Amino acid sequence: MEERIGILWHRLINRIADRRYPAAAVELDSVSRPVALLFRALGGDHGVALQAGDQTVHGARRTLRARLAGTDRKVDLAWVDAQALRLPLTIDRFAEPSLNRELYLWLAALCAHDVGPHLPWFTRNQVAAAAVIRDFPGLAASYRRLVEVSIAQRPGPETLAPNEARRELAIREALHRPGTVAELPAARRPPHPVVLWLRPEARQSVAPYSDNTPEPSVSQETSTVRVDKKRRRAEYTEAPERSGGLLLFRPESVFSWTEYAKVEHEIQENEDEDPTQVADDLDTISIARDQRSIAKKLRMELDLRPAEEDHAPVQGDVILPEWDYRTRTLKPDQCRVTAQPIDDAQPCGLPEHLKRSQRRLKKQFEALTPVRQRLKGQPEANEIDLDPYIRHRAHGRGGESRFYIDMRKRERDLACLLLADLSLSTEASIDAERRVIDVIRDSLFLFSEAMSLTKDRFALYGFSSKRRADVRLHTFKGFGEPYNATVRGRINAIAPAYYTRMGAAIRRAADILAGQSSRERLLLLLTDGKPNDADHYEGRYGVEDTRNALQAARRRGLRPFCVTIDQEAHEYLPHIFGKNNFTIIRKPSELPSRLPLLYGQLTR
Amino acid sequence: MHATSSASALRLPDQLPQYTPTSDEVELFELAYRSRLPVLIKGPTGCGKTRFVEHMAARLERPLYTVSCHDDLSAADLVGRHLIDATGTYWADGPLTQAVRHGGICYLDEVVEARKDTTVVLHALSDDRRILPIDRTGELLEAPPDFMLVVSYNPGYQQLLKGLKPSTRQRFISLAFDFPEPELEIEIVLSESSVDRDTAKRLVNLTRAIRNTAEHDLDEAPGTRLVVDAAKLIAGGCPPRAACRAAMVECLSDDPEITAALMEVVTAVFGN
Repeated sequence: MEERIGILWHRLINRIADRRYPAAAVELDSVSRPVALLFRALGGDHGVALQAGDQTVHGARRTLRARLAGTDRKVDLAWVDAQALRLPLTIDRFAEPSLNRELYLWLAALCAHDVGPHLPWFTRNQVAAAAVIRDFPGLAASYRRLVEVSIAQRPGPETLAPNEARRELAIREALHRPGTVAELPAARRPPHPVVLWLRPEARQSVAPYSDNTPEPSVSQETSTVRVDKKRRRAEYTEAPERSGGLLLFRPESVFSWTEYAKVEHEIQENEDEDPTQVADDLDTISIARDQRSIAKKLRMELDLRPAEEDHAPVQGDVILPEWDYRTRTLKPDQCRVTAQPIDDAQPCGLPEHLKRSQRRLKKQFEALTPVRQRLKGQPEANEIDLDPYIRHRAHGRGGESRFYIDMRKRERDLACLLLADLSLSTEASIDAERRVIDVIRDSLFLFSEAMSLTKDRFALYGFSSKRRADVRLHTFKGFGEPYNATVRGRINAIAPAYYTRMGAAIRRAADILAGQSSRERLLLLLTDGKPNDADHYEGRYGVEDTRNALQAARRRGLRPFCVTIDQEAHEYLPHIFGKNNFTIIRKPSELPSRLPLLYGQLTR
Repeated sequence: MHATSSASALRLPDQLPQYTPTSDEVELFELAYRSRLPVLIKGPTGCGKTRFVEHMAARLERPLYTVSCHDDLSAADLVGRHLIDATGTYWADGPLTQAVRHGGICYLDEVVEARKDTTVVLHALSDDRRILPIDRTGELLEAPPDFMLVVSYNPGYQQLLKGLKPSTRQRFISLAFDFPEPELEIEIVLSESSVDRDTAKRLVNLTRAIRNTAEHDLDEAPGTRLVVDAAKLIAGGCPPRAACRAAMVECLSDDPEITAALMEVVTAVFGN
């Protein structure tokens, strides 16, 4: 009974306190393309991704209703950092969907045109807003509409204490005429959040992990994984010591989720509890490592400070540099790449389930096998073409003048290196029977079949990495080797391992491919996700390093192309590869049959 | 002459085509001409490469032979070939031979698109011998002092290394073109169309914004030519949004998502 009433009260008070318009809500996903493009157009950094940011605790005075309901404690604000442009996951602040959409575009414009990022919050936002309106006068009307409706939602100055009222008036004036108000009057509590402005600077996080933490064992059991698109603020902390005593307490006595007590208490998973909700209620997620696995998983991205970086040079046979986008330097001797020959694989034939596709490929690729072509009506060649000459005689002067047939051999002078991503993420299953790695294996088989039909020179490599000192390049087939049962055996034996240090693998593959003397040299990259590794090689760093490796390959006359099954690839691949140099396969199961065709199109 | 008429256009300049210099390219070109050095111009689409060469040809009072190179263009298309008509076989000069014979400027636009054998005939012409051997007729033409070879390419999507040997490439005086600075681009728009200064300014602002996205979202950045086209439509009475859509946005992409997003940028500049 007590619980029933509690739930009813919660619903009632929430409805009264809530000033949201779910019916008019606009999702970030639905506007991501125009928002991202506008951000780049107005001068935003190309390298940053577009992501939903977590909510910010504002600390401002709330209405009685909001306090009763326990809502309005956090607010969705926008900001941009080195990794991403962070916008709210949903905007449902205004009654009109068009206004919610305009708020997205306005925030993207403001983030892109943030002309004084080092100024204090109050001045910085005014300067940025004034600059946007000056340079993009088309946004002025939209801005005025947004100011009007957002001021209507702010607490009235008459309801506030005198100094808070003065400050509220200053903010309203700054919204109406950005750039004209110099001082923000002080008051005890933070001002009511301004949704049209950028988030005030966030505090710094505490010490992260060192680079030498042992690898967590990977759980083999399947568990439900949910993907959460919001990024959450997080910090590293140490796991509680097992020797610590057990503390008995009533859950009700915990004031806040964030007060991290260094005590051990067993995780009781509650099937009914929604982990997303719990994550939303936390201001900062503290993470620590232990050895247990759990049944219910929520996958989300955390804003963690990267691990302490170590840039000491490494030694070995193949040592490659790495690009650091923050210093814009190519750091020498950063990665060790080791060749991993696969010697112990059992030679085998083409798997039965691919035989049908192989026959189909044969038909499709006959067109690509080198043949001699007869080109009629040429101005000069060795053979005579009679038809135009007869027409010419019949028409007299001014008729045809191309009387020759040219026999031209359509030459294919091509070398292709296929580089497959074998990181652990390829272990993910795509349907009941198959995992990504199985699809990659089948793709390698069919690709090889197609290549042996075209007679183009090709090589097959796979890569994985375990931090920068251990980037592994697995050779399935070198350029000098024939495609035979041994090669098929190696392909058959592929297994996922570790991470994706894409830049180093590309640099090494480019070295190998550049050794080929063919006129056209194609570097085909097969992947399922972003570059990442267990150290600082994450997010923007990995993206920029990969981009740099590809630019270097292109300067050497190689042609890189990426085939990915990552549906999110639209966010980062254009930046890495350039707009026309990648393709996304929507259905991973289609990859094996699509890849050879794609190769055909690329090299026609 | 069917064989070459599509590839060449002889233009005898009567009036000076308008060109606004962005730097010292006019002086450099004149010096190269007087020093008998070939010139290589690189730059993105629509930044004024062709206009510049036309301007310089008129300024130097030389006939201009322009060849738009394509992947089927062979050496014979440039040098010339034997043709047959009712009276029999005769030799027809290609545009390059004409330019050498008559002392003009031969401009090979997008030179790396041409077949590999075409660049072979350029070697002897671009070094200090300045000769053009014609195998078919056994002639050996020596270029007069007023002959000049100009080639251009677009580094955005063309690889020069594929077509020209580095040794040949180094014989050219190289001029790198880029989109003009905003103030200059506004002046160009004003001089090429009759829009007012505010519209010209907004158009240039819009173009710069779209250029920011080019690497990520577009095949190629919009050139000054597109801005001028849009300005002409606006000057003719077309509403700015419609003009920008027709002259810029739809020319840059066929992807409906991208064009819709680009229209948001247009809205940010011109309003609804």
